[in-house]
Amino acid sequence: MSILQVKNITKRYTEHTALSDVSLSIPKGSVYGLLGPNGAGKTTLIRVITRITMPDQGSILFDGRPITDNDIYNIGYLPEERGLYKKMKVGEQAIFFARLKGLSRKEAIARLKEWFIRFGIQDWWERKVEDLSKGMAQKLQFITTVLHRPKLLIFDEPFSGFDPINANLLKQEILRLRDEGATVIFSTHNMSSVEEICDHITLINRSRNILSGSVSELRHRFGDDIYALTFAGQSQSVKELLESMGEVLSLSEGEAGAPSELRFRLNARHTMREAISAINERVEIRSLSEVIPSMNDIFIRAVEGTL
Amino acid sequence: MSKVGIIISREYNERVRKKSFIITTLLMPILILGLMAAPTLIMLFGGSEQKDILVIDQSGIVAEQLQSNDEIHYIVEQEASLDESLKREELFGVLWIGENFIENNSLCKLYANSSTSITLEESIASQLEEIVEAERIKSEGIEGLSEIINRIDANVAMTTIRNDLGEESFSSGISYALGLGFGMLLYMFILIYGSMVMTSVIEEKGSRVLDVMVSSVKPFQLLLGKILGVAAVAATQVIIWGILVVGIGSAVLPELIPEQTMQSVEAVQSGAMTADQAGVDADMVSAIAVATDVGSLLMMFVYLLLFLVGGFLFYASLFAAVGSAVDSVQDSQQLQTPVTLPIILAIILAMSVFNDPNSSLAFWGSMIPFTSPVVMMARIPFEIPTWEIITSLCVLYVSTVCMVWVAGKIYRIGVFMHGKKPSFKELLRWIRSN
Repeated sequence: MSILQVKNITKRYTEHTALSDVSLSIPKGSVYGLLGPNGAGKTTLIRVITRITMPDQGSILFDGRPITDNDIYNIGYLPEERGLYKKMKVGEQAIFFARLKGLSRKEAIARLKEWFIRFGIQDWWERKVEDLSKGMAQKLQFITTVLHRPKLLIFDEPFSGFDPINANLLKQEILRLRDEGATVIFSTHNMSSVEEICDHITLINRSRNILSGSVSELRHRFGDDIYALTFAGQSQSVKELLESMGEVLSLSEGEAGAPSELRFRLNARHTMREAISAINERVEIRSLSEVIPSMNDIFIRAVEGTL
Repeated sequence: MSKVGIIISREYNERVRKKSFIITTLLMPILILGLMAAPTLIMLFGGSEQKDILVIDQSGIVAEQLQSNDEIHYIVEQEASLDESLKREELFGVLWIGENFIENNSLCKLYANSSTSITLEESIASQLEEIVEAERIKSEGIEGLSEIINRIDANVAMTTIRNDLGEESFSSGISYALGLGFGMLLYMFILIYGSMVMTSVIEEKGSRVLDVMVSSVKPFQLLLGKILGVAAVAATQVIIWGILVVGIGSAVLPELIPEQTMQSVEAVQSGAMTADQAGVDADMVSAIAVATDVGSLLMMFVYLLLFLVGGFLFYASLFAAVGSAVDSVQDSQQLQTPVTLPIILAIILAMSVFNDPNSSLAFWGSMIPFTSPVVMMARIPFEIPTWEIITSLCVLYVSTVCMVWVAGKIYRIGVFMHGKKPSFKELLRWIRSN
C-alpha cells in the first residue's frame, strides 16, 4: 500500500528541466530516501509534492486519491533551509506553528512540553530564536514539523548541522515516528544515514529517476559476487588456489599473527562450497562474507553512469 | 480560530508588544500637545525674572507713563548720564529717549547688556507707541477723541455659513489645519506601515519561514493575515493617539486657557456677545468651538480610520507584492518606485486642495483609489457632501479587494522565487497566470 504515488512528473523552468518523467511510489510506514547530487531535482520534487509548485505534466496520488490542497495538512515538511522568526520567543513560535497546523493552544502546549523534555530544551521556552544555536533551532524546527502527527513527513537534509550525538537522537526519533505509523521521506546526500534508517530509496540524477528499490535489495543487486576471506596461515598457497578458481582482487598480509584478508571472485565453473573445502585444507578460515557495496558506492557508480 | 486569524494575531501581537511601538504611540501625542502648548508654557514659566531697565528720558513725558510689568522693571533716574549708566552691569539695559521723541519716533534706543528677546523689544515698543499715540491725541486738543477712536476701531469677525448645508462651518483656517494634519497623517501611515509590510515579507522570504508555513497555510492566507494584522496595528496606534490627544487635551486645555477667556468664548458661541465685544480673537473662538464639538470630531475620526485602513490595505498589498518579488531591501528600490510615486502625488494634490476644496482636480483626486485616502482626508474638514465621501470609500474598498487579489498572485509566485529579480513584464505574467 502506497501513501504517495508520483506519476510521470515533469517540471520545466524557462532555462532548464528540473524533473523529467519522474515516477515513484512510497510505501506506507517506510522511511524513504530521496537521493541525488546537488541540483538533481530533489527539492523540486518535494515542492511538487507539497504543492508549492505545480508540475507541467504528471499526477500525484495521496492515499490513492489525486492530491488536493487539504492533503498538505497531513504532510509535515522540514525544508533544507531552516525558517523561523528570529525575534519571536521559542515557545510562542512553536505554539504559532502548531496552531497553524490545526492544534488548539492547549493541545499544542501539552505536546510541545513533552517534545521539549525529550530533546532536553525545556529551558529554552522563553528565549528568543535568534539566541539559539543552529542545532537548537533545528531541533525546534523538527518539533514543529512533527508536532501535529502528520501521516507523511518530509525532511530535507535533516542531519546537516547536527553533532553525532544529536544526529543520533534525531535518527531515533525518526524511526520512532515511523514505528508509530508515519511515513518518512527524506532527501539527503549523506549516504551513511541512508544505510542506517532508510527502507527504500530513489536516486535522482539530472532530473531523472535513475534507480529505485529497497536498500537491501539494491545492495545485493549491486554486489559483484565479491567475497572477503580472512584467515590465518600461508597466504601464498590460498592465493594460488583462488587464482586457479577465479580471480584475486586484493590481498593484505596480516602482520604479527593477525589474520590476512583476501578479496576474490569465483568463475562460473566453481561453486563456493568447493572453494571453501579447498581453502579449508590449506589455511584456517576466520571468516568469509560477501562484500556488499555501500550506498555510497552505489550512489557514486549510479551517478557516474557506470551501472 | 481560522488560519488567517492566527496569522493576524501573530502579526499584531509581535508589533504591538515592541518597545518602539509602545514608545512612539505614547510619546507622539505628548510631543504634539507639547509643541502646541509650548508657547503658553513658556509664557507661564519662562522669563520669570524681572529685568531692570534704566530709563533716561530727555523728553520728560514718557518715563512716568512707562509701567513695569512681570517682565520689565523700569527704573527712572532723571539725573543719570548715559555714559555712566552704560557702565552699570547690574542693569539689564538702558532705554534712552530723545528730547523730541513724540514728534520723531526714532529717537529711542535700547542699550542691552545681554541679548534681548523679540517679545521684550515688542513689549517696550508697544508701550512707547501707546504713550506716543495718547500724547498726540492730547495735543490735537479735541475733547473725547480717544473715545471716538475706540468706537471707530474695527475688528471684523466673519462667520461663514454653508447655505446648502444650513449649518455653521469651521473657519477655513481651522479646516486648513485639520486637512493638512489628516492628509499628512495618512501619507505617513501608508508609507511607514506599507514599507513595514514590505520589509517583513522580504525577511520572511529570506529566512525561509514561508517554506515552513506553506505546508500548513496557503500563501494568500499569509498575505491577507499579514496586511490585516499590520492594519490593525496602525488602527490601534491612531485610536490610542485619538484618545490621548482628546484626554490630555481636555484635561490640560482648560488649565491653560484663562477662565475669563473661556467664559468669553462661551458667550460668543451662544450668541450673547460678538467676538469683538468679548475681546477675544475670532479664530480662537472657532478653534475652541472645534475642539469642543465632539460629534463632528468623532465623525471625522471615523472617516480617518476608514480611509486609513482602506488606503493602507490598498498600498500594503502592493508593498507586499514588491517584497515578495525581491530578495533584499536593496533590490526593492526599483520596483518600489511605482508604488511610492502615487502616494507622493497624493500629498501634492492634497496641498492643492486647500486652495479650492471643490475643484475637479480635488474631486477626482479624492475618487481615484491611488490618491483618494490622502486627498479625501484633506478635503473632509471643508465639509464636502457626504455622498462624495461614501462614493470615495466604496471605490477605495472595492479596488482594495482587487488589489489584494492581484498582489496575491504576484506573492504566491514571488515568495518561492529566489535569485533573479523579476522585471515588470514578468510580474504581469505572474498576475495573468492562474
